[in-house]
Amino acid sequence: MIPRFFRSHGTAVCVLLAANLSSLAADVPSFNRDVLPILSDNCFACHGPDAKQAKGGLRLDLHDSATKPAKSGEVAVVPGKPAASALVKRIETKDADKLMPPADSHKQLTSAQKDVLKRWVTAGAKYEAHWSFVPPVKAPPPAVAGAKSAIDRFVLARLAQEKLKPSSEAAKHTLLRRVSYDLTGLPPTTAELDAFLADRSPDAFEKVVTRLLKSEHFGERMAMWWLDAARYADTDGFQSDATRSNWPWRDWVVAAFNANMKFDQFTREQFAGDLLPNATPEQQLATCFHRNHMTNGEGGRDPEESRVDYVIDRVNTVGTVWLGLTLNCVQCHAHKYDPLPHADFYRLAAFFNSIDEDGKAGTAAKPYLSYQSPLAARAVTEAQALVDERKPREAEARKAAEAPFAEWLATKAREVAKGFAAWHPLRASELESIEGTRLVQEADAIVQASGPNPNHEDYRVIGAVKLPRVTGLKLEVLPHASHTSGGLSRGKSGEFILTDIKVQVRRRGSSQIRDVLVTGAVADASADQKGAREYGDIKGVLDDDPRNGWTTKGLDQKQPRTAVFALAEPLVLDADEELIFELRHRSTLGDANIGRFRVSATDQAGDAIRSVEPAPLEQLATAKLTDLGALDTKLRAKLFNQFLADYAPYQVAKSALDRASRQLGEVKAGAQKLNVMVLAERKEPRATHILVRGVWDKPGEKVERGVPAAVAPWPANADKTRLSLANWLTARDNPLTARVVVNNLWALLFGNGLVRTPEDFGLQGERPTHPELLDWLAVEFMESGWDVKHILQLMATSATYRQSSVASPALLARDPENRLLARAPRFRLPAWMLRDAALRSGGLLNPSLGGPPVKPYQPEGVWEEIFMGRFKYEPSEGAAQYRRSLYAFWRRSIAPTFLFDSAQRRVCEVRTPRTNTPLQALTLLNDETFLEASRALAAKVLRVATKPEDRLAEIYRRVLARPPNAKEAAVLQREFDRALASYRTKPAEAAKLLAGAQFKVDAKLSAAELAAYTVVASLAFNLDEAITHE
Amino acid sequence: MNEPLDISRRYFLGRGAGVSLGAMALSQLLQRASAAPSTAVPTGLPHFAAKAKHVIFLTQSGGPSQLELYDYKPQLEKWAGIEIPDSVRQGQRVTTMTSNQKQLLMPGRTKFERCGRSGATIGEWLPHLRGVADDLCFIKSMHSDQINHAPAMTKFLTGHQIPGRPSMGAWASYGLGSENKNLPDYLVLISKMQRPSDQPLYDHYWGSGFLPSRFQGVKLRNSRDPVLYLRDPDGLPRELRRGMLDGLGELNQMRLTETGDPEIATRIRQYEMAYRMQTSVPELTDMSGEAESTFELYGPDSRRAGSYAANCIQARRLVERGVRFIQLFHPDWDHHSRLPSWCVARCRDTDQPTAGLIRDLKQRGLLDQTLVIWGGEFGRSPVGQGKWDSIEAGRDHHPRCFTMWMAGGGVKAGLTYGATDDFSFSVAENPVHVHDLHATALHLLGMDHERLTYRHQGLDFRLTGVEPSRVVKKILS
Repeated sequence: MIPRFFRSHGTAVCVLLAANLSSLAADVPSFNRDVLPILSDNCFACHGPDAKQAKGGLRLDLHDSATKPAKSGEVAVVPGKPAASALVKRIETKDADKLMPPADSHKQLTSAQKDVLKRWVTAGAKYEAHWSFVPPVKAPPPAVAGAKSAIDRFVLARLAQEKLKPSSEAAKHTLLRRVSYDLTGLPPTTAELDAFLADRSPDAFEKVVTRLLKSEHFGERMAMWWLDAARYADTDGFQSDATRSNWPWRDWVVAAFNANMKFDQFTREQFAGDLLPNATPEQQLATCFHRNHMTNGEGGRDPEESRVDYVIDRVNTVGTVWLGLTLNCVQCHAHKYDPLPHADFYRLAAFFNSIDEDGKAGTAAKPYLSYQSPLAARAVTEAQALVDERKPREAEARKAAEAPFAEWLATKAREVAKGFAAWHPLRASELESIEGTRLVQEADAIVQASGPNPNHEDYRVIGAVKLPRVTGLKLEVLPHASHTSGGLSRGKSGEFILTDIKVQVRRRGSSQIRDVLVTGAVADASADQKGAREYGDIKGVLDDDPRNGWTTKGLDQKQPRTAVFALAEPLVLDADEELIFELRHRSTLGDANIGRFRVSATDQAGDAIRSVEPAPLEQLATAKLTDLGALDTKLRAKLFNQFLADYAPYQVAKSALDRASRQLGEVKAGAQKLNVMVLAERKEPRATHILVRGVWDKPGEKVERGVPAAVAPWPANADKTRLSLANWLTARDNPLTARVVVNNLWALLFGNGLVRTPEDFGLQGERPTHPELLDWLAVEFMESGWDVKHILQLMATSATYRQSSVASPALLARDPENRLLARAPRFRLPAWMLRDAALRSGGLLNPSLGGPPVKPYQPEGVWEEIFMGRFKYEPSEGAAQYRRSLYAFWRRSIAPTFLFDSAQRRVCEVRTPRTNTPLQALTLLNDETFLEASRALAAKVLRVATKPEDRLAEIYRRVLARPPNAKEAAVLQREFDRALASYRTKPAEAAKLLAGAQFKVDAKLSAAELAAYTVVASLAFNLDEAITHE
Repeated sequence: MNEPLDISRRYFLGRGAGVSLGAMALSQLLQRASAAPSTAVPTGLPHFAAKAKHVIFLTQSGGPSQLELYDYKPQLEKWAGIEIPDSVRQGQRVTTMTSNQKQLLMPGRTKFERCGRSGATIGEWLPHLRGVADDLCFIKSMHSDQINHAPAMTKFLTGHQIPGRPSMGAWASYGLGSENKNLPDYLVLISKMQRPSDQPLYDHYWGSGFLPSRFQGVKLRNSRDPVLYLRDPDGLPRELRRGMLDGLGELNQMRLTETGDPEIATRIRQYEMAYRMQTSVPELTDMSGEAESTFELYGPDSRRAGSYAANCIQARRLVERGVRFIQLFHPDWDHHSRLPSWCVARCRDTDQPTAGLIRDLKQRGLLDQTLVIWGGEFGRSPVGQGKWDSIEAGRDHHPRCFTMWMAGGGVKAGLTYGATDDFSFSVAENPVHVHDLHATALHLLGMDHERLTYRHQGLDFRLTGVEPSRVVKKILS
């Protein structure tokens, strides 16, 4: 992203830099390097490969067109004769009407660019094919003294040309940390660090690289790259964003990288695993790659439009991941810059157009593979263990509650002996109606309506409640002689329709009110409800939707009716606070406003607010028992439930068990046979047409399966299947795939590719910084049989990779973007690695592989607020919380909140942005995972060392793989002392800081000390060095 | 600090906009670029004098019905219950929700009035808005080309139906830079509703696409943490956080000296900004200092935190604090059924607060410098969905024509621009595509939509896409 910006807004800067880096001023400009970028940027929009758009019949991308007379009769390029060339004349003219590029294009050539074009024409206007369309050749690496590997020879030769020297090798701890992140996405353990520091053998580092490539975490690291490219997610995206179960494919990717499946086979299985002879279930599973696109199940959407979208998405993904071409441009028109006609897009699309799918989403997104993951059983065992651990605790807590319950019951029995009323009528200090109905409260707190009876009306009853708390509210709807037919309302029918209720709190003297969440509603009678958007059921009053609500229409109008509402949580009102109960009558039918009613409040928990029956304590009062032993067992059970609902020690154990049980249920579902979306051909292939302007229902000319001719020829005898397409992509004469892939691999280790636009190797992409090196690696990759580990091993063991990332001001000024590789790159690690690293440094990491997705901590309510409660996020508990970020459940409409700067997983992405914002700082400071890791790390260093300075040093060592120097140690000590002093005087604060979501600190350790080390550990996790690839 | 900052400046100049440089450095960069002999890039922003410094975009998600709210079509009465003539329909597709039923016309379900001196037509469900009609500029000839919610809203807000492009707010904050150093430039507020919405509001609606992520909208949540991760953990007193950040800054500064990486200087600044946001954001969301008269102006719902009405007050407060782009979302305008109760409910939520916002901005002298935009992703069809003459009836999606309005900074107050045919089925005069709306809004902010570009995947992208689009000059004051 960064270089793009400077190309679009800093051309002058770009030219200066280019002058530094290349021989722009050389006598004969290179067409590919010097001329083509200028033509492509400034001219091709009108005189480029899009033949339909070629103004004046002139195309500057083709030698033959450029050197022939255009419609105007002028010849753009007369080789060797700049004065006769219209191109030269038109870029230099003072005549604004003739000037090229024209003013309205907002493009202007610099004098340096004009000079290049002139010199090119003068030298004979030689055209060359664009570099990336010419198959790579393995040039012998230049001979450079002291250089061991081919990579180093190319890099050093280039540096020598620029009169620069490489940087010295990085410190050992830096190297180990760097390569551990690059190859496994994790920092080294302290044992790995100690072993490497102790290993004085000359090939100590090579041995580390070999070890890391064999680690099972290697596959996980590579999978994170591949999942971004594959736009993998656990949900569909779009409106309903339904959950899918494609995660076994994610585990297939991890396994494939760990087994070092060769990249050509990796390609074949993902494109056409289903077409392979005797395809194994895993080979069929691999094709899920091409089903990871979003699916749209929005009501009213034409499924065919969606299906076409999916096909288009696959072509775009092939373009970006294998070919490095912006095929998406060709969806609507011929490419403006690259030699790709409009039809090329649809020829490729034809390979994917006959999948046995129909555009549907959710659980109807066939074709599916029924697949049972072998990796789910471990997760079930883990989840079962948590339930088994919590079950006896819940039982114990229930048992422990028996004695206090008996005591409570005895007290209550005495209290209610003189009679008991659970409900307390709300005395209104104010009665309001929005549309003018007159409301009067009578002596028994009953409210009677009179006067106008508008079509829509809201009532508000406002009053103080003299209860220690409010748990629920009751609404009685009463008949009256003044109502229509003596019924329940003054409306035409005598029936009422209550569309919604609201409960709010108002503080005297404050302008603001707050909502109180009501979660339960029951009524003694309701009309039968015919559909979701009809009136009847009481639950309809809780959803703010005027199209449903409560009515008793059709039942006896003269009967009083009762509804009981349960609050989500007990509400405690301050002395100066009042309750507001709002009744909304906003039905489509109109005028069915309640005529007479009473609102009451209760402080009872349990059955009292979940039923219209008398509250359990009222029943107890009615029973008038002298001996509690004679208490009816059903009533006793109700009373016990009521007691438990308020008994915190039990509720803690109960809700912990409930959460664990829900988690177990989910994991067990994942251990069943799952439907994974895969590829399968339908019996009758669909005809494929060019889509006019890319619009799904505007078919144009029919096309057959085929590939862009500009890239590589289609083998004469190959059948036109997806399998053959995969073979074509990985054929020796395909000039793009190997280059594109090694470039992505390079970027994994060096932060940037040799081509800095990994998604675009076309004319508008950047040229490689080291073209010969890129080609050498590409050929080496193919010759090695597409061996990914081999290429990574070459890169990681090169001296280029092992350089220090420290940059002198001079080098920084000379090459700020590190295009010449005179140093190692220094860049912020991806957010997912930061989370995984914190888990490992804190000793929390659960390193298990695969299985159903997990839910790391994220702030409360982020799913709920997007889906208005439709999806709830419950963080995983137990060991499942500490799995690697790769396994985090990915909801497309709201990606995991702790992953800043990540791919969006909506469409394919091979380059994610790297920014530096205050929101990232807040995440690393306050995200629960990082806090919990800080607590765990604090507890760890308290155990492994005794002196404060050793403990502080140990924090550094576990986070940065090095001890602090003296100056750093002094700062750490100062911050530790400050925190310790503070927590010693405020032990309650220390306890709060240590009370995390799950991690329990050892009660034997000093809370003040632990809290102070926690603060320092959190500081360490936030250090620039800690979050940076150095 | 001087030396490292110097390095960083040179560094940024060398490598472009860089990761986090603020508006100041951007303008420096642009000045540099424009001082160079000749260049094909923007020669500095603004491209011309801006009429508006802020935008409040009142986004009504779901597709509000122009036929009930603004676009008065008395002729439809004659056609009530009659199938829409093919000559009018012109092959327009409908969603599969109504493609199987007869396309019978349904007149507006509300009474209209001509309001103010301008005589703008506003339906009876918006009584408060009628009172500010003379401050509004209606565009009745809006049209889009997407008929389903998510693609249409994506197009409406990012210029393209497929997610991945920068949103209008991101473009605006990219182009305008910041006035406030303690708050993000682009803030998003979403109405708190109880009803589960059928159309989720995806974060790509306010995303930065391929622009650097610091231009993305920051959602102010209606919860204890208005910004994600804003609140320090319990048990970490403020003075300890300060001390910890001082220690962190010192250690980072040492690293900066050792490695020479200017990114560290930026990181130090971002941690300080984070610390300031921990104060500035809660201060912003605490409305206890607002006068009683404010709540009266915006209506009773404004007392409820998180309501559309409270968010309208918040929007004015954000303008006062110099935030560039403020976007409100009010969901649930997708009235396929029971229009007469459902649509009224959404009008009730929004009518008084919207009118209150206009009045409030005006009385505080802020309306002139603030562009207020009201609208949704498309309109609704004149054909009834369900039995057209029953209370059950609603309307299906309709991208061919719909009404939006703007007010304030640089637009003609009291103007109605464009018109639809007698059926409100197609635009009859002065069509305004959503891209034209984007071009016009950018113009009012001092930016030429053809010159506000960003290079990505080898192409210079702009908000208004590749098709020609225009600034609607006639509505400019």
